[in-house]
Amino acid sequence: MADGISVLRSPLILGNKTATQVTEDVCGLLDRGPGREWWYALAVSATMLTMGVVAVVYQLLTGIGTWGLNNTVGWAFDITNFVFWIGIGHAGTLISAILFLFRQRWRTSVNRSAEAMTIFAVICAGIFPIIHMGRPWLAFWVIPYPNFRGPLWINFRSPLVWDMFAIGTYFTISLVFWFVGLVPDFATLRDRAVSKFRKSVYGFLSLGWDGSNRTWLRYETVYLLLAGLATPLVVSVHTIVSWDFATSVIPGWHTTIFPPYFVAGAVFSGFAMVLTLMIIARRVLHFEEYITLHHIESMSKIIIATGGIVAMAYMTELFVAFYSGNEFERFAFVNRMLGPYGWAYWIMVGCNIVTPQLLWFRRIRRNIALVFVLSILINIGMWFERFVIITISLSRDYLPASWDFYTPSLVEVATLIGSFGLFLTLFLLFIRFLPMIAIGEVKGVLSYGRKKSDDAAPPGTAHTIRVTVGSPGGPQ
Amino acid sequence: MSKRLFIAYFENEEDILGVTRAARESGYDIRDVFSPYAVHGLDKAMGLRPSRLPWICLGFALLGAAAKLWFQIWTSAFDWPVNVGGKPMASIPAFVPVTFEISVLFAGLGTVAAFFLISRLRPGKKPAIRLDRATNDRYVLILVENDAGFDASAAAALCKEFRCVHFEERLEDEQ
Amino acid sequence: MKEHLNQTAGVRIPDDGLPFDRREFLRLAGFTFAGAAVAGCDTARVEKAIPYLVKPEEITPGKATWYASTCAGCSAGCGILIKNRDGRPVKLEGNPEHPVSRGGLCAVGQAQVLGLYDSKRLKQPVMNGSPSDWQTLDRLILDRLKTVRTSGKAIRFLSTTVTSPTESSVIRKFLSMFGGNHVLYDPISQSAILEAHALTHGMRILPHYRFDLAEVILGVEADFLGTWLSPVEFTAAYSSGRTLEGNPPRCSHHVQIESRYSLTGTRADKRHPIMPSERVPLLMELVSLVEQKRGKTSAAGLGQAKPFLAEIAGKLWSARGKSIVVCGSNDVDSQLLTNRVNELLGNYGSTLDLQSPSYHCQSDERELQTLIEELRRGKVGALFLDGVNPVYDLPGGDDWKELLSNVTLVVRFVERIDESAQYAHFVCPKPHPLSSWSDAETVAGTISVTQPAIAPLENSRPLVESLSIWMGKTVSSLELMKEEWKTTIFPRQKTEKNFAVFWNQSVHDGFAVVAPRAHRPSRLLSSSDRKFSPSVTNDGGFQLVLYPKISMHDGRHAQNAWLQELPDPVTKIAWDNYAILSPEAAKGLGVESGDVVRLVSSDSAEPVHVEVPVWIQSGQADQVIALALGYGRKGTDRFTAIGPRWIEGRSSVGPDGLVGVNAAPLLQWKDGRLCYERGGIQIEKTGRRHALACTQTYHSLDTPPLLGQGTGDRRHFVQYASLASYTENPSAGSGPHHSSQSMWPEQHQYKGAHWGMMIDLNACTGCAACVVGCQAENNIPVVGKDEVLRNREMHWLRIDRYFMQNEDNLDVAQQPMLCQHCDNAPCETVCPVLATVHSEEGLNQQVYNRCVGTRYCANNCPYKIRRFNWFDYPRNDTKENMVLNPDVTVRSRGVMEKCSFCVQRIQEAKIAAKAEGRQVSDGAIQTACQQSCPAHAIVFGDMNDRASRIAKLIENPRSHNVLTELETRPSVGYMTMVRNRPEQSGDSSHG
Repeated sequence: MADGISVLRSPLILGNKTATQVTEDVCGLLDRGPGREWWYALAVSATMLTMGVVAVVYQLLTGIGTWGLNNTVGWAFDITNFVFWIGIGHAGTLISAILFLFRQRWRTSVNRSAEAMTIFAVICAGIFPIIHMGRPWLAFWVIPYPNFRGPLWINFRSPLVWDMFAIGTYFTISLVFWFVGLVPDFATLRDRAVSKFRKSVYGFLSLGWDGSNRTWLRYETVYLLLAGLATPLVVSVHTIVSWDFATSVIPGWHTTIFPPYFVAGAVFSGFAMVLTLMIIARRVLHFEEYITLHHIESMSKIIIATGGIVAMAYMTELFVAFYSGNEFERFAFVNRMLGPYGWAYWIMVGCNIVTPQLLWFRRIRRNIALVFVLSILINIGMWFERFVIITISLSRDYLPASWDFYTPSLVEVATLIGSFGLFLTLFLLFIRFLPMIAIGEVKGVLSYGRKKSDDAAPPGTAHTIRVTVGSPGGPQ
Repeated sequence: MSKRLFIAYFENEEDILGVTRAARESGYDIRDVFSPYAVHGLDKAMGLRPSRLPWICLGFALLGAAAKLWFQIWTSAFDWPVNVGGKPMASIPAFVPVTFEISVLFAGLGTVAAFFLISRLRPGKKPAIRLDRATNDRYVLILVENDAGFDASAAAALCKEFRCVHFEERLEDEQ
Repeated sequence: MKEHLNQTAGVRIPDDGLPFDRREFLRLAGFTFAGAAVAGCDTARVEKAIPYLVKPEEITPGKATWYASTCAGCSAGCGILIKNRDGRPVKLEGNPEHPVSRGGLCAVGQAQVLGLYDSKRLKQPVMNGSPSDWQTLDRLILDRLKTVRTSGKAIRFLSTTVTSPTESSVIRKFLSMFGGNHVLYDPISQSAILEAHALTHGMRILPHYRFDLAEVILGVEADFLGTWLSPVEFTAAYSSGRTLEGNPPRCSHHVQIESRYSLTGTRADKRHPIMPSERVPLLMELVSLVEQKRGKTSAAGLGQAKPFLAEIAGKLWSARGKSIVVCGSNDVDSQLLTNRVNELLGNYGSTLDLQSPSYHCQSDERELQTLIEELRRGKVGALFLDGVNPVYDLPGGDDWKELLSNVTLVVRFVERIDESAQYAHFVCPKPHPLSSWSDAETVAGTISVTQPAIAPLENSRPLVESLSIWMGKTVSSLELMKEEWKTTIFPRQKTEKNFAVFWNQSVHDGFAVVAPRAHRPSRLLSSSDRKFSPSVTNDGGFQLVLYPKISMHDGRHAQNAWLQELPDPVTKIAWDNYAILSPEAAKGLGVESGDVVRLVSSDSAEPVHVEVPVWIQSGQADQVIALALGYGRKGTDRFTAIGPRWIEGRSSVGPDGLVGVNAAPLLQWKDGRLCYERGGIQIEKTGRRHALACTQTYHSLDTPPLLGQGTGDRRHFVQYASLASYTENPSAGSGPHHSSQSMWPEQHQYKGAHWGMMIDLNACTGCAACVVGCQAENNIPVVGKDEVLRNREMHWLRIDRYFMQNEDNLDVAQQPMLCQHCDNAPCETVCPVLATVHSEEGLNQQVYNRCVGTRYCANNCPYKIRRFNWFDYPRNDTKENMVLNPDVTVRSRGVMEKCSFCVQRIQEAKIAAKAEGRQVSDGAIQTACQQSCPAHAIVFGDMNDRASRIAKLIENPRSHNVLTELETRPSVGYMTMVRNRPEQSGDSSHG
């Protein structure tokens, strides 16, 4: 169909799909049910999840002492995992909101799963601030609710309270955003469903969507507004997370560049995670024509960009530490590089600064296996970034007499594995029961980069065609 | 009295755009247009006014911000003033983050709620009109035969001009 | 928690293992109040029990009653005040009026109250290993005594030094009645001092050392601030000799010559590590140097000349009559030379008092050896063992099994079944000193009274009562004691004519000052003809030094969890003993801290070997091994289960099921004395490792060489200066100045009181009395070795110990670190639930029941003084829980805790003041740490009160805060440590 290819753009969706085919490809998967790979994957992730559950239950019964923490290092794996997962989440919002505002139409085929990823990542993240408490059963005390203990409120000066509100909002908005996007697809599923059960379930969820264009119009407005809200929100969330450390007095934590540094890092790791998942999904679910090399390349480019910002942040940190002339600040960073935890620092540098540079090469970007490996390396590196910031800074702060080391306990490791198990399990269930590609949006970009055959076109419609081809379409 | 509806099905985005514009220009009363996805330009073709949801959004944002800021100052400076780390009772800068988050939360939820309300979308609701493949790959134009002057054949001709695949007429109460 | 509440009511007692029922306890509880009724003032005596049901008017439940008494933790006999709450002793404090201890109380003393409620105490008499009752026991003992007397075998009474006049006279009577003699020895013996004085002054006598009068102090192997003879008394005296703000300002010069790094060494102005083999030659050198100064020509001392000796000799000579030389080695030659130096310097009669000597040590191991010989030849028919524990604390203690087997009657007086008790026919439980009458004359002329604050919690009987019963008359220990006082002590004073008044006064005060018994020491007999020889010959092998650890002494407190968990002031290790090696020695051997090595003695016929973990300690002489006595005690297996139980949890005991290793087998007999030094020790690696619970992972204020700009960046947390620069500029040593800036308006003024604390680093010795005092006051749990290894120790007050190389001297800085109660507290800002907030009196409050345990506050604390309850630390021993302070909450799992400035004491004082309608007077509030400090280094008070001591100290140029640059505005301040040195360079500001 070479003659059908536009001279201006390469198509976003390959295989010259028609709207029906799209519906079939996406929904058919849900009717047919997943293949063997899916079941294997679920078995593995469910096992990991179980490990985590066992660990957490044991910890809740026995005490937080079952973690490797001590008087000096009060946070380590727990908050590292928290920040890591929050960071992962950010890519989803970025794809669905920011790329939307930037009219990046290639996002349509990945944004649904990216948003799902956001929600699951935030769930994983949200667990840690709760279980890291000494008395998790009192976690609700951080919520300001009217009570009979006389005037008794919470401390709105505490970054942990900011966290609570930020993550709560972030989760809610992401969920709403995701659901609103799903409504038209639920309608499609409803109209093609055969079994009574499916019809009723999808019918319930589709809120009686009928594809009326009056509704479409408002729908687009809402989508735009939510995107506009989610964009500053996602920035604020990781900014606030970074304030947990930036507002403290601990050298290595007390750093003003944290907000941009953390946001960039979040996007960086988030895209790596999207890549990891998408590369698996397109392979396992045969979505090669929807999630194309083009997508993988674009995401790799974003990784290069954000990776650059992260690298610059590392340099700035070191420079400021040196330039400040503050003995504690200097020591904190020298200690990071050459101290007992130096290995962690160098893993971080290797994975986060060196790895992305490979993506400058088109050959590597288009080598899916390689990109897959790199994306995993980057995730490892970003996990270590948080570990380096949190644990190393705490382990050696001011009074040398209180310096100490930290080694994770089995329970902590199991909890980390469990959080991955939870994430993957949720994701697998998602691709099994929900359309992992935004049908409505993809249909909007089918014609993108494709000529229409002018035969039998009514006079005066040529203009319309050019409009369709030239102007950004999709569900704006 | 029940109205008669003229329902025409199309296959291509450009056809539905064309026919809608043409129908409006030739003075037909367009009940609605249905499509599997948001077709860009249809709102103009149908002559719809842009939505007022942004104003609702703004309203909710401001409401949330104001409420939360007041709440923080009230709890920490008036209802239960307590010395925390030597900071002032009303440490306004420290109250900014939560204020922002809450305003975003209000705005988001408010807008979506308004949207569902205006568009009469609610869980379990049945679609108003059963239209074959309207959520799959068909574009449907519905005209209202409101006056005796309505000429179904003329409308059909217009639709055919835009490669209409199929048309039918229904009594409104059939739905 | 329920437990706790019930106990505060004072009328409930768990039934487990208690020999009396609830009603009985009410009676016992009443016991103490009756006494209060008699004396009718805050400290009182006890005479007879009155049912609590009839409530004495003076007693208000919930209000503490105080009883003056005497500490029995060691033979020093410090004066204490027992705090009673609802019939339960809950806290011991130093008696400020006591002439010997002057208000301080050491860590061991503070921990005594825990032993009172120990459920492992012997609950009834034991006969041949099975429980018995007193009647049968008495009958059988008397029968056997008869048979022994008829058999004509000897009767021996073996005990530690007896400082109690009553006890010794009763023993004397008993032995004179049955015919036998009294053998005394101390496991940690100083008999060489007695021997030496016998030779030089014609009588076995222990001088009373007056460090307060000394301007130059030379300590030779004498840890007189830590463990030697009477540390609390000596610490008070020592620090009074170094009061820079005094009038006139005083700062004695202190040189310490020692093989291991002792607590006393950390305070020295100059410290010289030597090997034991070098000591005698060095002292001879010193003697001849001083003699030269004196113009007396003498044979130049043999042995290598140490350059620093001349300087010391000079200093000593210039301060002759006001100097003091003390030697802690149990070696007669060293002591003779020491006496010689003191004699030459004319210190006898001034800093060494022979007119009213000390009775801390009456040990005579010669007699012990004769006894062992008698036992071996089966000459002994009856043996009474009191205090001492020969099976454990003597070399070859295992031989005692058969030594005792051919004795007809072996009676053991003891509080718990121990190594020796298991070979005794009869074991007589002794009551805890807090529940029995006694007295102590440790310094001639000062007689301290021990009175019970509660009836014995077990079916025990005081030694003196047992003896008098066996002598045929049943008398209470109180009557015996009054009898003794009437006959011997009352006559020794002239001021009071009426005995009853004298007695009441003495019991009320806790002591009586009377004329010392007459001592007629002859003037120095020349001993120059004697041939001196080192106690240890340097044969190239390692030289072993066996020393008492500050918390364990001779091991008599090995079952006290508080003391086991107390980190050693120098090594900072809890829960173990270990072979200390110098870094060089360790490098030579290729061993690291924690490697288990085998110490093998090659000098004796049958080589003794002991396996201990190594600890590397700079500042110790090379070729020297230091190993603490008092570990590996029977009964420490009780700590197997202490601390939390979880999958990765480890036990607090070693492979053999005991805490630490017994080093006694390495002791040596040397011309009739126990010798704590030994040459020719070989070290063999075992390849095994044993984790040592050290509370510090980094030991210096200098950042690690690789990570810093070298020694240049020493952190300015501890300020110190040399006397020279201090006299030049009183604020010498102060770190970089930081101007105070704040982005916030000053919204919080402290209108009423603003509590603050000042700690004088120049007085603090790091003896850790405050740590245990705080633990006792604030119900701080014992967490066990594993948790300490994980740096989860709970002590609210820790003592940071830093080594620093200043010129040729390896100095140690001790810095007590506790909640600084910052006015701009970083911990408060970050707590999400307002569980830690600031009070209107400047206290940083921790609200336990609001805390959810995010640990954010601890992370954000620059001083890292917050402590977290990682588990529900076990408090299952309901009897032991009776020691809990009813005024302080017991914290539960998942809650943050920390120093509260003893807020309960603040409240108590405020309520009292309010009741009397006055302001809280300065000094009315004493925090637990401040009260227990023997050096009086801690001052607490209202900083807003211009007249208060604390306010004045803040004005002092030496006062400073830690980490001012963070603008935390701490309420705890420190005062610069000043070392008596000429050079200016040894200042923190230069460092």
